Amino acid sequence: MLFNSLSFVVFLVIVLALYYAKILNWNNKKRMLLLASYVFYGLWNPPLIILLWISTVVDWTAGKRLAIEDNPQKRKFWLLLSMFVNLGFLAFFKYGDFLLENFVSLLNTVGVDFQAMPMDIILPMGISFYTFQTMSYTIDLYKRKIEPARTFLDFALYVTFFPQLVAGPIVRAQDLITQFYEEKRVTYNQIVWGLFLLTIGVFQKVVLADTLLSETADDVFGSSKLLHGIDAWIGTLAFSGQIFFDFAGYSTCAIGIALMLGITLPDNFRYPYASLGFSDLWGRWHISLSSWLRDYLYIPLGGNRHGITRMYVALMLTMLLGGLWHGAAWTFMIWGGLHGTYLILEKLQKKYFPFKITKWNGIFLSFLTFSCVNITWVFFRAREFDTAWNMIKSMFYMQSNSVKILDSFTIIKVCIVIGILFSCHWIMRNTSMKEVAQKTSPWVLGVFWAILFFLIVIAQGSGEQFIYFQF
Amino acid sequence: MNLKKSLIIALLISVIGIIAWELYWRSQDYTPSIDDNKAFWSVQRDRVTDLTPNNFILMGSSRTLFAIQLDNWENETGKRPIQLANVGSSPLPVFHDIVENTNYSGTVIVGVTPGLFFSTTSPKANPWSLPQSRVDHYEDRTYAQRINHQLSLPLQQNLALMAAGEQERNGDIDLKALLKKIKIGKRVPEGMPPFYRFGIMTSLDRNLEMTAKTVTDTAFANTIINVWKYFGKRPSSPNKEATMAFFLKDAKKFKARGGNLILIRCPSSGGIRVRESHALPRKDFWDDLVQQANVNAYHFEDYEQLKNLKCPEWSHLSAEDARYFTTELTKIMIADKAITNSKNN
Repeated sequence: MLFNSLSFVVFLVIVLALYYAKILNWNNKKRMLLLASYVFYGLWNPPLIILLWISTVVDWTAGKRLAIEDNPQKRKFWLLLSMFVNLGFLAFFKYGDFLLENFVSLLNTVGVDFQAMPMDIILPMGISFYTFQTMSYTIDLYKRKIEPARTFLDFALYVTFFPQLVAGPIVRAQDLITQFYEEKRVTYNQIVWGLFLLTIGVFQKVVLADTLLSETADDVFGSSKLLHGIDAWIGTLAFSGQIFFDFAGYSTCAIGIALMLGITLPDNFRYPYASLGFSDLWGRWHISLSSWLRDYLYIPLGGNRHGITRMYVALMLTMLLGGLWHGAAWTFMIWGGLHGTYLILEKLQKKYFPFKITKWNGIFLSFLTFSCVNITWVFFRAREFDTAWNMIKSMFYMQSNSVKILDSFTIIKVCIVIGILFSCHWIMRNTSMKEVAQKTSPWVLGVFWAILFFLIVIAQGSGEQFIYFQF
Repeated sequence: MNLKKSLIIALLISVIGIIAWELYWRSQDYTPSIDDNKAFWSVQRDRVTDLTPNNFILMGSSRTLFAIQLDNWENETGKRPIQLANVGSSPLPVFHDIVENTNYSGTVIVGVTPGLFFSTTSPKANPWSLPQSRVDHYEDRTYAQRINHQLSLPLQQNLALMAAGEQERNGDIDLKALLKKIKIGKRVPEGMPPFYRFGIMTSLDRNLEMTAKTVTDTAFANTIINVWKYFGKRPSSPNKEATMAFFLKDAKKFKARGGNLILIRCPSSGGIRVRESHALPRKDFWDDLVQQANVNAYHFEDYEQLKNLKCPEWSHLSAEDARYFTTELTKIMIADKAITNSKNN
């Protein structure tokens, strides 16, 4: 089910009505939320709920054993079982076809004539998110960082909580499970603020991503022609805005909906396009994934504890796997590799050419970071390496016989939207939406809210799926 | 932060804004209409599962949609047909889907618009891609998508501001379409002339009628004719061999299981008819298809009562003429014993 759909409006009204009607005690409210979460997921593809159940049961069992077991071998066994099941799901459902294709290519390269039928495996929505979330639970228990969930119901709800089930934020156990222990006392202001966030999120998705930007990105990246430099840049900028509004929109909706239920989810985006460098970027973009990769991949790989070279290797491996997390294609690896390279170059710059960031050079640095990020988006968006490479050549005016496919208004529209996006991120980079709202007059906020809602209504939207659902 | 006050203000302004928007578009002669999208089509496709052999399925392009009026067909035959035709489409992928994925062995009426029927068998090329995408949607649609469609119907039926569609047209009034009306400079060559909607769904089972404006307003009808002329200047070569082979294979399988296949050629007129006669001569295309398919076939030119019908925009019948055409055609078919009248059986 999509947040930007009529069925979700009905679903949410029913869930909120049951949640706030005084007919259910806290345990029954949690059961209702769990059931609602399965309905939310099952309305997409009912049989794939079984994967959620398997993940839940395996990690609950492993977690319980890890909490009481002292024998290091047995503890390792339970951890490995959890990782085997979760990573096994990912390997089969997400990377099965990719692995098979590359295996066949490898055989063909060494002269073995072998062809395999594609497996055409359906990718379960949100599998990368909920498997990472449940793995964090067993890993933290293995490291004795957290207490196990008190009840199976609390744990099942942690795995399945519908606002963040299919596209995050990827929430750590200690941040979410503990919130299920006590009945929520939700204030009127929390509910209304949650509704406001939901409006902002849907506006980002329906109006900004789908209505204003997606078609330009699709036209440019779907073109079979060699494009003029302006067209290539505008298409890339459009995608840059689209993916931010799409994903940040989803996260904002998730945070808002959870807040309406009295549950606090962590921020997933903090105005990333005004980042001052790439370390800053990864503290602002998809925060729940980047912190997951830092804690469960980069640090176990050695982090910065074993010298410079090892740190760079760990950094690059983390970013390459981070790229692969997004999709089973070499283009995602290149995207991750580019970010890894940027991070290493930034560390070298900080070591050998340090300089102080002021408000004057800050905006230039921010713009430079944003420009470099745009280059990586080309590999993220293009389905084929050749398409990406042609786009890069167009962006740097290395194409002859290039063609123009975008009309002037489209170019102006994208420039205005991305200009406003960048300016807003720069202005907001050290504050939050809530702080700004608190300083704003209720009248201004009300009018602003109405404009967003009105634009959502007239945009209508065709119920486009969120981009990150495919990851 | 006084959120309660902000919420009330937001609600009030939103309601006023939406009512004003609705009233404005109604004042511009917009009326509520149902979008003929993939979800709407899939509901009809789903009905095929329960059909018995004495039912009818219609497929083809927009000519079949406009020309066959379901009420009149039902009046004459006693059975309301399932309408699976799609605008600007080849009927081949839909017929293939019915043959391969159902056990249906009743009557299938295939509308043959030569330029579309004999065009291509490439799944991603026009005019194949649209019907194929609908067949795929039917197979893949989620329960959430089904519910969304059912929830959207009352809104579409009651709000003029919903006048927009899956297939974008110039008269659409969603935000994306409104922004597209803004033209600055001539950086890229002009594309297709403005293409407005000229049909309206009059029932929940996809009965399409030409709007009265298309019949009475010649200037408006000319905007549609200009679109046909635009396509006429960019004709794609027919692929008769591949399309015939694909269709005949399915036809053979369908007939082998007892299905009754009927071909129809709905009227066209003016420049379109001249171009069709020149580019896809009847003898080489229609007659050859009928002969090889060896099924009942009805070409409007062969019947006195049908051959002089005029299409206001050269390619589709007005609502009034469509009702007449449907009634006469079904009478001819019944007289031929190509179909039967359930009411008399």
